[in-house]
Amino acid sequence: MEWDFRNIDDEGELNLKHFFWKCTACGTCRSGYTYGPPPTFRVICPQGNKFGFQGFYGSKGKAALARWMTGCSYLKDEKFEYTPEFLHTLYTCTECGGCQNQCMIDFKPHIIDTIEAMRARAVQDGKGPLQEHHILLTSMKNNDNPYTGPRAIRAKWMKKISKDTKLKDINKESSPVLYYAGCTPAYNAPVRNLALCTVSVFDKIGLDYGALGKTEVCCGSTVLRIGERETFKRVAQHNLEQFKWLHDERGVDTIVTSCAGCYRAMVEDYPHSDEFKECMDGIEVKHTSELLYEKYKNGEWEPTKEVNMKVTYHDPCHLGRHLKEWIIDWDGSTQWKGSYLDCIDKGIFEAPRELIKAIPGIEFEDMKRARNNSFCCGSGGGIKTAFPDWAAENASLRVEEAADTGAEMIISTCPFCHANLNDGAKVIKSELKTMDLIELLDQAL
Amino acid sequence: MVENTNILGELKGIVGDAHATSDKHIMYAYSYDMCFVPNKLPQYVAQPANVEEIVEIMKLCNKTKTPVIPVGANTNIGGLCIPKKDNTLLVDTRRLNKILRIDEESRYAVVEPGVSHAQLAEELFKRGLRFGWPVGPPSGTVVGCAISHGISGMSGRYGLNSQMTTSMEVVRPTGELCRVGSCAIQKDSWHSFLPLPRMDGLFHGWLGTTGIVTKLGIYTPAVPPYYEIVTCSTQNISDMYKYMLEFSRYEVADDLTAVNWWLSQVPIPYPFKEKPADAPEWNSYAVLYAYTEKELEAKVEAFDMTIKHQQGLGSTVQATEIPEESKRGRTELPSQIVGSTKNYCKEAGGGISWPGTFTPANKWAQVYDKWYDIYTKRNLSPSTRVTMYRGIHYGMLRAMTPINKQSPEETENAKMAIIEALRVLLDAGGIPYKPPVDFGMEINARADKGYQKLMADIKDMIDPNGIMNPGQLVVR
Repeated sequence: MEWDFRNIDDEGELNLKHFFWKCTACGTCRSGYTYGPPPTFRVICPQGNKFGFQGFYGSKGKAALARWMTGCSYLKDEKFEYTPEFLHTLYTCTECGGCQNQCMIDFKPHIIDTIEAMRARAVQDGKGPLQEHHILLTSMKNNDNPYTGPRAIRAKWMKKISKDTKLKDINKESSPVLYYAGCTPAYNAPVRNLALCTVSVFDKIGLDYGALGKTEVCCGSTVLRIGERETFKRVAQHNLEQFKWLHDERGVDTIVTSCAGCYRAMVEDYPHSDEFKECMDGIEVKHTSELLYEKYKNGEWEPTKEVNMKVTYHDPCHLGRHLKEWIIDWDGSTQWKGSYLDCIDKGIFEAPRELIKAIPGIEFEDMKRARNNSFCCGSGGGIKTAFPDWAAENASLRVEEAADTGAEMIISTCPFCHANLNDGAKVIKSELKTMDLIELLDQAL
Repeated sequence: MVENTNILGELKGIVGDAHATSDKHIMYAYSYDMCFVPNKLPQYVAQPANVEEIVEIMKLCNKTKTPVIPVGANTNIGGLCIPKKDNTLLVDTRRLNKILRIDEESRYAVVEPGVSHAQLAEELFKRGLRFGWPVGPPSGTVVGCAISHGISGMSGRYGLNSQMTTSMEVVRPTGELCRVGSCAIQKDSWHSFLPLPRMDGLFHGWLGTTGIVTKLGIYTPAVPPYYEIVTCSTQNISDMYKYMLEFSRYEVADDLTAVNWWLSQVPIPYPFKEKPADAPEWNSYAVLYAYTEKELEAKVEAFDMTIKHQQGLGSTVQATEIPEESKRGRTELPSQIVGSTKNYCKEAGGGISWPGTFTPANKWAQVYDKWYDIYTKRNLSPSTRVTMYRGIHYGMLRAMTPINKQSPEETENAKMAIIEALRVLLDAGGIPYKPPVDFGMEINARADKGYQKLMADIKDMIDPNGIMNPGQLVVR
């Protein structure tokens, strides 16, 4: 299986270098600003907000790092060298894409790819990822998950499922739907309820579905984000082949996951494989909120129990602004070669909100930074592993913002965000907790 | 510079470990801006949190003779914050980001140097107030733009942003703190520089060479409820000038601007592309704000009368209708779309520069005709804008010049066009604003000797150790 991830040093006309040299350093990326009316000014870059110097701030900072790393022809006497400080700057970006959402020029579609390509080069050169990430790599190598949990307990959460569950062992029984739980609910105890509630909700609405249990393997998202492409390719290849087998042998035509990171990996990263189309032919990947919303709109189920609570919703980066289909004029037939023309926004913003609002008794209010301008919780891009204190500190800013809405609970659709926002609440001793959408829906059914 | 290997340590002692650095990759990020000025790495960057820390930094720099440059968002197009000397410290004012006051009754605000236009716009809008928003990145700082004579969408009515400042607090190069204007007499009174001696002139337009402005009072007029954008076109700049000359005499437009065909394309064509034969060469828009419908009608009537009169004189001017979307680009400021440089350099690459000038309006035509030749000879679009300012008939004349910064050869080509254009302009009596050093050299080659000596004497007086942005003014 071959993969077409781009490299920071690729040669060729429309290489990444072509695009990061398109950055004009205008600084529009530094803040989430819209004219409106009313004009809104919002902090959007967690890294810039924390560390402040221009190399940290937005995609302007990342373009600078990339130019420094690959050589700037205007500074012939300066040579790039890996330093701990450079690696710190490189690895304190959450890769949230907040800056990408602001940019308007040809660099825009390539910003996150540029960051990941720099990290991949650091790994290739033996300089990355950070020492703090090695525990994650070792765990992936030994256990196929980033949480250092043994393979044997991957399915431990399933022991808590009701005996009346309709959940099938899809290794043995056919089912049209594979519930891909992901590593976080399996191994991260504070959010294990997410998987249990998913099963509960699926049972309640009468879904025919199965899970892999112990044979499930990490989607690879975490390692890809820190530049460890070889490990990603290994698990991704395993998953693609397994999905194909499940389709051919077990009748799976839908993979549903409650994890925004897994979803993003499968729909955005796995397509870089030259065998993606073949392996995924006849299979759709959906997030739980998507699947449930479709069925809700079809009248197949509705929330019936009252939940009297005011809530707000945190848009995960992986489920929101990362999901874009970029329209680029690669051959120059429309504008010029490499011109960024437009994007198709595939972010899942409305389905979770509609489901929340469908619950009797719920009062809903959005935060000021929402949808494509959501403020990253601070957990992604390898940050939670390497800088857990800062991840929680950043999350506390989001909890404060949520508190401004008067919400009693933050709802999210990503277990990473879920866990980190709760850690953030602890930092500021806030009573405002986060729960997953699926947990809320379980209460309402 | 006095040899002192512990400057970084001392800076960290002032601002804290996390807020001073000399890491090379961070220095690189500060070593360039949009324009053609080549990269030069500073030696240090410090981000003070308050005025007291800035004072200490300046004292340190005086002691150690460390060159120092204040930086806002670094979105100027003049290389103003790119070091000219080795071992330079950049004082990044990002952390001084408070809007200290908005006095709705008296219509002024007081801001710190790290406040961006976007940040201020949000707060003023809530109160029905506005400021001179430039057609630049929303991330640009209010102070940096204003004290460098920034131009806005209100330059026709109120003048430049520097003409809308009211009081200031400054850290002098020697580390002394001073106030200029009414706030010097009454601590919390920021309403005016007048009737005191205009010492603000020591800090406006000096390009960061005479001190660090740490607080700035600005006039924030109300947003009138009615507006209309009237537009017209002409086949040549001469007719456009005559229309603008006549219409500006009514003194009714907040902004009276014209752009040629190349600048009206989104983005500017790179390389040069011929204008379609049937397209007018110049398009103008005038933004008319009014407090009553009658006032607006009267302003529109003035426009109609001007068009009619000019046509009677044989002008090619025609009133036009332009799409609402285009109109919004002139009134919905600060603009993320325009300010992101998308309209300018999206095709060319990562840079833009200009001969950006203030020029007597009656010289626009003769200069533009030469600019057209200079630019097209180098296969560049002569994308030009003219704007009539408040007061006498002078205003902006500038050629927005996108640059492919990835190519040193193309960057040099653009730079040569700009310098050549600048020489033509200077000979005609125009003066560039926010000039990079290359422009400063051209200015000084023509400048009155007395002017240069006065500038040097002031600089020597206020900055005896010559540490503030040395080299930027050329005379020092």
